[in-house]
Amino acid sequence: MKILCALIKKEFFQIIRDPSSILIAFVLPLISIIIYMYGINLDTVKVTMGIKNDDANPEISTLIKSFGHSKYINSIIYDNEQDIIKNITRSKIKGAVIIPNDFSKKLSKGQNADAIVITDGTDVNTANYVQNYSMQILNQWLSISKYNNLIRKDIVNPSIRIWYNQDLNSHYFILPGSLAVTMTLIGILLTALVIAREWERGTMEALLSTSVKKIDIVLGKYIPYFILGMLSMAFNVFMCCAVFKVPFRGSFVILFTVSSLFLFTSLGIGLLISSILKNQFLASQISIGLGFLPSLLLSGLMFPINSMPYFFQYLTMILPPRYFITFIESEFMAGTVWEIVFINSIFLSVPGIILFCAVYAKTDMRLNK
Amino acid sequence: MIKDSLRRVFALVKKEFITTWKDPKSRGIIIAMPLLQLFIFANAITMEVKNIDVVAIDRDKSVESRELFSKFENSPRFRKFFYVDNEKEFKNKLDNQKVQIGLIINNDFSSSIKAKRPVNVLITADGRQTNTASIASGYASQIINDYNNEILKDKGAKINISVRNWYNPNLEYKWYILTVLVTMLALVITLLLTALPIARERELGTFDQLIVSPLTSFEILLGKTIPPLIIAMFLTCIMSLIIITLFKVPFAGSGILFIISVFISLLSIVGIGLYISSICRTQQQAILGVITFQMPAVLLSGFISPIEDMPIGWQLLTWLNPIRFFITLTKGIFLKGMGIEDAVLNFIPLLIIASITLTAASRVFKRNLD
Amino acid sequence: MNTVKIKNLIKTFGNDRAVDNLSLDIEKGKITGLIGADGAGKTTLIRLIIGLLKADSGEIRTLNLDPVNQKEKLTPKIGYMPQKFGLYEDLTVIENLKLYADLKNASYNFDKLLEFTNLSQFQDRLAGALSGGMKQKLGLACALLGEPEFLVLDEPSVGVDPISRRDLMTMVRNLISSETTVLWSTAYLDEAHSFDIAVVMDKGNVIYKGKPYDIAKTTKEFENKIIELMGGYKQEKSLIAESYEPVSIDIDCSVEAIHLEKKYGSFYAVKNNSFCIKRGEIFGLLGPNGAGKSTSFKMMCGLTRPTAGTAKIAGTDILKNPSKARSKLGYMAQKFSLYGNLTVKQNLEFFAGVYGIGLLNRRKRVDEIIEIFNFKDIENHKSEDLPLGFKQRLSMACALIHNPPILFLDEPTSGVDIITRREFWNHIISLSKKGVTVLVTTHFMDEAEYCDRISLFYKGETIAIGSPEELKQKANADNMEDTFITLIKESGKK
Repeated sequence: MKILCALIKKEFFQIIRDPSSILIAFVLPLISIIIYMYGINLDTVKVTMGIKNDDANPEISTLIKSFGHSKYINSIIYDNEQDIIKNITRSKIKGAVIIPNDFSKKLSKGQNADAIVITDGTDVNTANYVQNYSMQILNQWLSISKYNNLIRKDIVNPSIRIWYNQDLNSHYFILPGSLAVTMTLIGILLTALVIAREWERGTMEALLSTSVKKIDIVLGKYIPYFILGMLSMAFNVFMCCAVFKVPFRGSFVILFTVSSLFLFTSLGIGLLISSILKNQFLASQISIGLGFLPSLLLSGLMFPINSMPYFFQYLTMILPPRYFITFIESEFMAGTVWEIVFINSIFLSVPGIILFCAVYAKTDMRLNK
Repeated sequence: MIKDSLRRVFALVKKEFITTWKDPKSRGIIIAMPLLQLFIFANAITMEVKNIDVVAIDRDKSVESRELFSKFENSPRFRKFFYVDNEKEFKNKLDNQKVQIGLIINNDFSSSIKAKRPVNVLITADGRQTNTASIASGYASQIINDYNNEILKDKGAKINISVRNWYNPNLEYKWYILTVLVTMLALVITLLLTALPIARERELGTFDQLIVSPLTSFEILLGKTIPPLIIAMFLTCIMSLIIITLFKVPFAGSGILFIISVFISLLSIVGIGLYISSICRTQQQAILGVITFQMPAVLLSGFISPIEDMPIGWQLLTWLNPIRFFITLTKGIFLKGMGIEDAVLNFIPLLIIASITLTAASRVFKRNLD
Repeated sequence: MNTVKIKNLIKTFGNDRAVDNLSLDIEKGKITGLIGADGAGKTTLIRLIIGLLKADSGEIRTLNLDPVNQKEKLTPKIGYMPQKFGLYEDLTVIENLKLYADLKNASYNFDKLLEFTNLSQFQDRLAGALSGGMKQKLGLACALLGEPEFLVLDEPSVGVDPISRRDLMTMVRNLISSETTVLWSTAYLDEAHSFDIAVVMDKGNVIYKGKPYDIAKTTKEFENKIIELMGGYKQEKSLIAESYEPVSIDIDCSVEAIHLEKKYGSFYAVKNNSFCIKRGEIFGLLGPNGAGKSTSFKMMCGLTRPTAGTAKIAGTDILKNPSKARSKLGYMAQKFSLYGNLTVKQNLEFFAGVYGIGLLNRRKRVDEIIEIFNFKDIENHKSEDLPLGFKQRLSMACALIHNPPILFLDEPTSGVDIITRREFWNHIISLSKKGVTVLVTTHFMDEAEYCDRISLFYKGETIAIGSPEELKQKANADNMEDTFITLIKESGKK
């Protein structure tokens, strides 16, 4: 116990002396939160699109105006289609609506009228927005235009309500979700080098000649970075809730309990890399290569896991951030849902324990050379 | 003079190649990691929402309500259906994320249809997954709309849209994501090749050895730029070939222009990597530097969320981001067949970034003598 | 009663037998010196004895325990100081002591240790900021914590000045009890001569064990006997000098330091240092650790920018035209700083290229160097796997690859065995006869005798300059070590 305390104390001195650990724990998450807050917006995308009107009917000019008034659209009027295509190619506009010359005539006869929507297919997300926005504006216009008495009245109407996030504000899920990505990075970055460094600097040899036990070495690495990581987590949560006003409906006790399980697992990844490679250079390369993209792209934060092919859905099961994202989003937006807490805790602890055992097994108590 | 200089640079380049390629672990990381990630991401990432699970309450239990539900059941987007009797179970399923969407049909459904009286179908979506919620409820509304078309035989005035998606008629998400992934992975690989070696040489003391040799800082810079540039070029070309042949992404542009754009884009990333490396004393600091650059560069590249949609200050910030232009070039040349004039517009900021970072890096080599 | 009993011990790494069927007893309460050429297996043997490595076969009993299976019982009784001292450089002196005291379950009673090491005033300084001599003392202090029964020191005096070495010896002798056994591996034969028992190793085996005084009465004789035991050293013509083109520089000073000064804040690391080295001269820079030798050295070759003054290499100002000045220079760093993951041959090829030797000549030159330095068998070994002596030889080979007229050698022989050292100095002297100008630093006072002129450095300033004979007269001493200590102490009093 005394030995363990001494090792933990030593690690803290080292953390204080090297500002990069502090930067990783507090500055990196701050940058990340600010980016997710201001730089990323997944719900209301504003698009620039072209309008070309071939219908001389004055009623149609109100349609063109309603495109101009939409807060989601930045509209530019074009006279010929060539220009539209050219500007799509140059990414000046993301799409366009063309109103054919018989448009009002068909509507006045109570028939179906076709509007042509052109999109830039290279940007699939925006192309979908262009379609949806055009459709919405056209239908809204129709319902207030002079043709509105000719519209068919639907009997069955969908009435949509969104639970847990009434305004569909994507920041409410992306900020807590981003914490999972950031905490994965922090966990790996803080620890990926620490064991490798002791081997390279020759201090491991000196440690091993004292009465240090294997469990002391392993815990002596886990505990200090765990504490630092939890402080970082608290800082993150504070930034989200207090500064950026993300509503929190759950329980902080549960949030921090599950977070600690998650941190335990990500520290394990970093320490395992470090203890296997014993080489700072390779450990750094692995952390850079694997630290960020997989946890961003495969964790369910950006892309729905349910829609992946089954094999890849199973593959994401080895990624701890996946479970943490599910948990943290639910905890923030829906409050504590016990089943979600339990299932994800289990999936977070099992790899954490396996990693801990692996780190323990891979920590050599003898030199190779 | 120039011959001597070339000779020195060549020796340095050769050394860099040997150190990078000699260690099988390091070679494995450099080749296997990006290719493996390309395969996994390419197959896994999709924007489509599929396999939606549904919880439903049918209070009407009529022929009409059955008919509407069977329409949902027949749609390929929806997967499992849980029919429950009460709101409590309904809420339970949604709370526990067993389902993404809930449907409720009230007991006046069939009578209203017969009386041609408007009636609501209640759609409840799980807002914790904002994207899935809005897309899934969109699908549900579409099905209800189709059902309206069936029961109301009379037509009326209606606007249809006929969509033409340029360059990607079926809006294949794969085409988009794969061209983006190539640039992302090229970024990661270039950074890990450039950002660490100098910090490592400093830790080992070999950097002093280079400074004491007749190599000028410009020659050291060249020697440190060329090998990662060649390796990253090579990998980017391999990845591009893979997405063309294996994933059938169309290549509409000019091959030469593509190679030139990759070269210029990678040069600017190499510049940033070397600059990070030159100001870091330890490898720990170098990784921190890389991540601090990599994370914003990826998030603010227009890949996750469109640049035009950011606040104006952030939009200006993306002018410093080489990935932004790299993505525009790759996507443009691959899918749109972007021409020279348009490409050059993207080259300019990239070349400016490259020249600033590379000059700064070589200045730091000199300044570090103090 | 023996502290260590070893029977038929074998340890192999890959195809190399580091310890080959070795049997040895180490007596309790004695100081045993471990001597041998580089790569003879000293470090491996030490690590086997204290359980840091596992033997392939054979038997070891350390303090009557099996070092592998009973390591937990053994470690509290051992004090070990590894080659790199094992200090945490980002912890302060006192933090390092407290850490090791906790790890060894010893009390926080450091008064005696701090007093003996003179570290009291530096308690709060980071270990990384200490000079080599102080690090070594701190390393020893850490090893002595918990009053070990068996003290194991692996080359503790590498790169340390004579005064610190004497202090270290005094420390060990004063701080241990008569019951304590000491195993001390060293490259300094004067040290080994003063021990109770000397063990000489060669090719993984013990070739001699006995009392040093039984071998020879004086240190000088002892040295010669040991060399004989290790296979003897025949002074041959230096092939490297043989193949060297004679150097002609028609200026007075091949190397010139002009009022060099380096200031950190208000602290002068080097103050107004001027000297001129003539063509073909061997110029030694001597002084205790932290006196400013390394800083001067780094300024001379352009690694550190002086705050005032400059240096000229073959007439070229190092600040104004560094590339040209450096092309005349061969540099060998204090710490091994070649590319560890390149092979011997690749390192040579790299430096040949960097110094601008053309492709055709390069092959020839590299082959020549491999021949001269006897690298044939190891040319495809990774250089990081080589024993220290070979690494230093490779460093020297790389420094010489472009036939430079001027050589800067920063502690070239630190940690190298006696035969290799003689070989090195044979090369250096022969090269200087061909007109090569040499600037060298060393902590071996016997090597200082080889220099034509010596500049003695203390606290950033030159306190004496002249030939070894002149300095000896000045200090009224008959050997360089005493000269060194006397002059430094005199200067310290002023």
